[in-house]
Amino acid sequence: MSTRIIAKLDVKPPYVVKPVHFEGLRKIGQPNEVAVKYYHQGADEILYIDIVASLYQREILLEQVEQACSDIFVPFAVGGGVQTLNDFSELFHHGADKVVINTHALQKNPNIIDEAAKCFGSQAVVVNIESKRWDNWCECYSDCGRIRSGKNVLDWVKEVESRGAGEVLLQSVDHDGRQRGFDIELAQKVVSLVDIPVVVASGAGKPEDVLELIKVAQPSGVALASLLHYDKSTIKELKKYLRENGVEVAL
Amino acid sequence: MSNLVGVVNYGTAGNIHSVRKALQKAGADVLLINQAEDFKKVPRIVLPGVGSFKEGMMELESDGFIEPIQMFDGPILGICLGMQILSSLGYEHGLTKGLGFIKAEVKLVECLGKVPHVGFNKIDVIKDSRLLKGIENEMFYFMHSYEVVNYTDMLALSECSGHKFVSAVERRSVFGVQFHPEKSREAGIKLFKNFLAVDKV
Repeated sequence: MSTRIIAKLDVKPPYVVKPVHFEGLRKIGQPNEVAVKYYHQGADEILYIDIVASLYQREILLEQVEQACSDIFVPFAVGGGVQTLNDFSELFHHGADKVVINTHALQKNPNIIDEAAKCFGSQAVVVNIESKRWDNWCECYSDCGRIRSGKNVLDWVKEVESRGAGEVLLQSVDHDGRQRGFDIELAQKVVSLVDIPVVVASGAGKPEDVLELIKVAQPSGVALASLLHYDKSTIKELKKYLRENGVEVAL
Repeated sequence: MSNLVGVVNYGTAGNIHSVRKALQKAGADVLLINQAEDFKKVPRIVLPGVGSFKEGMMELESDGFIEPIQMFDGPILGICLGMQILSSLGYEHGLTKGLGFIKAEVKLVECLGKVPHVGFNKIDVIKDSRLLKGIENEMFYFMHSYEVVNYTDMLALSECSGHKFVSAVERRSVFGVQFHPEKSREAGIKLFKNFLAVDKV
């Protein structure tokens, strides 16, 4: 099974942006153009997160989503402000293959995970985890790394798995946008704790970071933003490098 | 035969948008099938799928689509859940009767690795096939927790963590693929082109 290399677009409509520590946004480009660029580079998947939908307490903008995926033929996962089964349904009908949820499930209604898994199948339900590291534990945050939950990341991943989530997206508030490597220790723990696929994001600054993460933690996928946005590497180059170093990837 | 293809639009369960888009890229004219009469307007149909076996069959039933599909006189391509419900029986969320084109049961994938099985994977084509011609060595995108257990109509096998499972079936003009051609780059587009070229047997 090959490790998925995923391009992550943090979207603050109408632009793809790149936050550092989930703050301080920089404009990268139009979602459709950025998505197409990474599709042609060989992305195995495109991840689209409307990073302000929850914060602004509005629904995700469906037209934006539909436009973003109109020219790509790889899986498209979408999140941001998802609260109801109808939100899931709307996103699927506007091109999403998987829906990513965090804030609502974490802070208000975890049952949405069970309901969505039952209705759409586990494989279509991704739970996004925004981890913040304290001395002895990691805490789940929401609303794009702003609001605490008091929940331990390790407890929460077990819970979302038992509720029927089909995948975990593990992000780190501390490592996001810093380009200084992943929180490998946490990634390793989470991957070995659950049986569902784990995609790890936040921290890649160079191809070596990605290789180290894959070798040590063996996630199902790696989501990249800064590394690609700032043209430090293309997906094609990265995959070539990974393959040369013994990682199975889809070329 | 024209390039017209009907995509069965059933309820909340359907990756309609992506399938339509990829079929169009393959040169098809797509008609969304929203009511039973629409089946008469198309020479072939695609049965997409996101969702669970039980919900999927319930949706088809409430739309009045089960009989029109079973009586459909032309090539059929089931994708992911759409392949699974071609089977006789499903075990997801309780026992549910399927469309019955393929003698098969749909059961949870059990293997040493992670389930759902998600990502690009190889296919091992085990017989000559109109559907998979020219793309035997490509990788396709999988995203599923259940698998079709079948011994009679296997077309391709794939493997996850040492576990072999049926990744494509073919019986006369009825095809099913566990992977998502609409999410498998140019190889998937080629599969759709092959399907458009299939004549009824």
